[in-house]
Amino acid sequence: MFFDSALTVGSFSSRVMPVDLDNSSTASGEASVTSSGNQNPLPKSTAKKKRNLPGMPDPDAEVVALSPSTLLATNRFVCEICNKGFQRDQNLQLHRRGHNLPWKLKQKSSKEVKKRVYVCPEITCVHHHPSRALGDLTGIKKHFCRKHGEKKWKCDKCSKKYAVQSDWKAHSKICGTREYKCDCGTVFSRRDSFITHRAFCDVLAEERAKAQTQPQPQNQNQTATKESDPKPQTPDSSPPSAPTPVSVSAPESGKVPAPAPAVPQLTSVISSSALPIQSSELPENPSPIMEESLAPAPAAAPTGLNGSCSSSASLGSNGSSCSVFASLFASSTTSASLKPQHPPVFIDLFQSVGQPDCLTDLAPSPSIEPISLCLSTNHGSSIFGTAGQEHRQYAPPPQPAMSATALLQKAAQMGATATNASLLHGLGIASLSSSSAQQDNLQWGQRQVEPENTSVVAGLGPGLPRDGSSGLKELMMGTPVFGPKQATLDFLGLGMAAGGSPNGGLSALITSIGDELDVVAAATSFGGGDFTSKDIGRSS
Amino acid sequence: MKTEVRGNGGSISLQNPSLFNTPLDPITGALKGCLGSLDGACIEKLLLHCASALENNDVTLAQQVMWVLNNVASTVGDTNQRLTAWFLRALISRASRVCPTSMNFNGGSMFQRRLMTVTELVGYVDLIPWHRFGFCASNGAIFKAVEGYGKVHILDFSITHCMQWPTLIDALAKRPEGPPSLRITVPSCRPQVPPLLNVSKEEVGHRLANFAKFRDVPFEFHVKDDDPCLSNETFATQFESLLTQLTRSQLDLRYDEALVINCQNWLRYLSDETKGNTTTVRDAFLDVIKGLNPRIIVVVDEDCDLSASSLSSRITTCFNYLWIPFDALETFLPKDSRQRLEYESDIGHKIENIVGFEGFQRTERLESGVKLSQRMNDAGFVSLPFCEDTINEVKSLLDEHASGWGMKREEDMLVLTWKGHNSVFATAWTELED
Repeated sequence: MFFDSALTVGSFSSRVMPVDLDNSSTASGEASVTSSGNQNPLPKSTAKKKRNLPGMPDPDAEVVALSPSTLLATNRFVCEICNKGFQRDQNLQLHRRGHNLPWKLKQKSSKEVKKRVYVCPEITCVHHHPSRALGDLTGIKKHFCRKHGEKKWKCDKCSKKYAVQSDWKAHSKICGTREYKCDCGTVFSRRDSFITHRAFCDVLAEERAKAQTQPQPQNQNQTATKESDPKPQTPDSSPPSAPTPVSVSAPESGKVPAPAPAVPQLTSVISSSALPIQSSELPENPSPIMEESLAPAPAAAPTGLNGSCSSSASLGSNGSSCSVFASLFASSTTSASLKPQHPPVFIDLFQSVGQPDCLTDLAPSPSIEPISLCLSTNHGSSIFGTAGQEHRQYAPPPQPAMSATALLQKAAQMGATATNASLLHGLGIASLSSSSAQQDNLQWGQRQVEPENTSVVAGLGPGLPRDGSSGLKELMMGTPVFGPKQATLDFLGLGMAAGGSPNGGLSALITSIGDELDVVAAATSFGGGDFTSKDIGRSS
Repeated sequence: MKTEVRGNGGSISLQNPSLFNTPLDPITGALKGCLGSLDGACIEKLLLHCASALENNDVTLAQQVMWVLNNVASTVGDTNQRLTAWFLRALISRASRVCPTSMNFNGGSMFQRRLMTVTELVGYVDLIPWHRFGFCASNGAIFKAVEGYGKVHILDFSITHCMQWPTLIDALAKRPEGPPSLRITVPSCRPQVPPLLNVSKEEVGHRLANFAKFRDVPFEFHVKDDDPCLSNETFATQFESLLTQLTRSQLDLRYDEALVINCQNWLRYLSDETKGNTTTVRDAFLDVIKGLNPRIIVVVDEDCDLSASSLSSRITTCFNYLWIPFDALETFLPKDSRQRLEYESDIGHKIENIVGFEGFQRTERLESGVKLSQRMNDAGFVSLPFCEDTINEVKSLLDEHASGWGMKREEDMLVLTWKGHNSVFATAWTELED
């Protein structure tokens, strides 16, 4: 059921999010949650319902999907008698009284107490699916407007833009009103973050350390240091008073005394914190390690990616397994036409994967780029064309280039036919050429790289030996895992013995997913249908 | 639930539709022109299929599903793609343990540890209110509970390296009757999970001490040392040893101190398996702290049951819960934001443990707020409600973050919500008076 001009029934509080504790909760409301004092006339159930599993909304709720125009419309409360539109439900109710309706029609019928949850009409949106539904109309409207709408409201003082007027108003009220500045120069708009930062600030710690003339147990020296100098410029900063005895005392007697070790730690910490925290700073040089084993790795890799590789390489002490992979991919990198920056990152993945025992070392360097091989901030999302998104008024976010059906179909074909299916490099599928006749040598062909695609690894070159044993082993070796949309896996030795018709499983999978994708038939089969009621509070 | 969609239904264009020359069977024909992208439900289903394929040793199906998932996965994509990426990684990690490979996993995590500086950690915990919510609620309850006391001793069991305390120190400093003297004791052992620091606990304590001094709060910091022979053991082993040291004398508890026990994202790492007829470690811990006669115990954790023995149930629950932080980050950080990627990577670490491991290696055994409350009640604790001041503070905290964050009360428990979905719970307890 859905509404063009929605009569909101049983609407939840239309107060501004987010912090409303008293907001009318849901039909499955807990006994102790107070009913909101607003216009909501619904009787609240006082029985305690079982709590939902996270993310599983009330299965009895009616899922409503309003159209974009409805969601963006400001006058969504419409009088059913004269079709006059109102921005708020209260105003509509007031208006309706003016029609002199018989008593019965004035009351909201009990039928309409049924809980509603709202999904976003934007198909690619995470809130499109019922399990991510939002509990109230205001919430879904705001979500839709914020996420998929145009940001029409702009803050005067800073550059922030908002799609929802109330957000803009809320921001404007606080923008620039409160500022807390640490002596290291960082500025905060929130006091708690400022306080926490101030307590732990690396810069201040460094200054303190420098101020100490000699290493001594801290509790003797603190009063003489410059600690009291850096003051936060806050309205309520307390002036440094007479030094009070403060100690970092040792743990229980009989154990190693803390102060002494604290000092060397301090100095060593200071030295590391003096290093720039940014990821461009590399530790003492692991790159040679990598380059040795990766002969074809071009030198001209971007710093960022090198950084992430180096970090993992630096932790690598188990060289042997490293080189297995290195050589594995060395051959492939020569054969494929790769963009220069990919191999290092891929090696990075496998080094990190292959050397868990190296992880216990404390890296001397500060944190660097995460291992998550998603490298290219340059290219990573370009397939999805994120660039233009915010300029569109209502535009679906970028989607994977291949549809679900196509993917599943492809996968099924791979299993069944052993054709050499070379995969889409993002935007299109190259040829479906058949390769070797051997059924169990399934191989995706050379990856043709389009400039904007960052693929971690392409197919491992054709020359890799096929291992007759479990295909999953090869999966491990061949999986680039997070190359965006590249899926150039080389499943070597895909044993057909692995249990029945290789396609049978996938067909069943396609069928069941087909059920999921069938929007009208909906989600009764989803997750086994084991929903428990969930208390969906008000959402944004 | 039934749904219908109207409006701009996106039709996905297959780039080269002619490629699919093979005759379409009825199923795929029906799907054509339908939703093009794999939404959350599909992905979840695929993950479940992959997991069950692994459990049934159906290698082919597992590979096929992983291939499909890999096409969807992207750590810089939308939230579904990102989640898929980390789940897929966890499944691969699991598969590697099931099937011997030539890769030397050594049974360890696929993840490399990332160490942060203290300043980075400060920013990290404030990226979204996920942690700060717990800090704020707990500190409020603690502040209230120690009113009138001249001495406070906090036993801090948490994974966030004392990020919670500066604001409490600040609040205590401003007490009208003057600040109490404050002692904080932390155990030397900690689960090997992110967020990880590049400095020692002692250094953290040192900075905290300097800050307390600056605010004129008498302060002491202790690291409760473990048996050094155990330094290479797992957290579980170290903790069992620590339990034996949590006594009045060994902790040097003083008679006129208000003792506060702070458990933040901690209880989930304590084993809940009964070995024979003995109490579980988790319950034993609760017994031990009860014996210390604390003034207040605050327990904060993520509101989700992730300790089921069935892998599919864990995948489903985990997938339907962890979209929350991913979604929250997506709201205000760009796709390639380093902070966002790091935060998500840490969540990925958790996913890997939950999905990829079993037995004693699966250390993440989260239980929901409701279950935890039941456990506390069974252990002889009674819940303390949060006072209005604390609640108002939490509200104004959430006000300053993206809208979408909310809070609700469930009995005496406070729950942080994102778009209405439960994310983190905060509770306060004291001993039941006989």
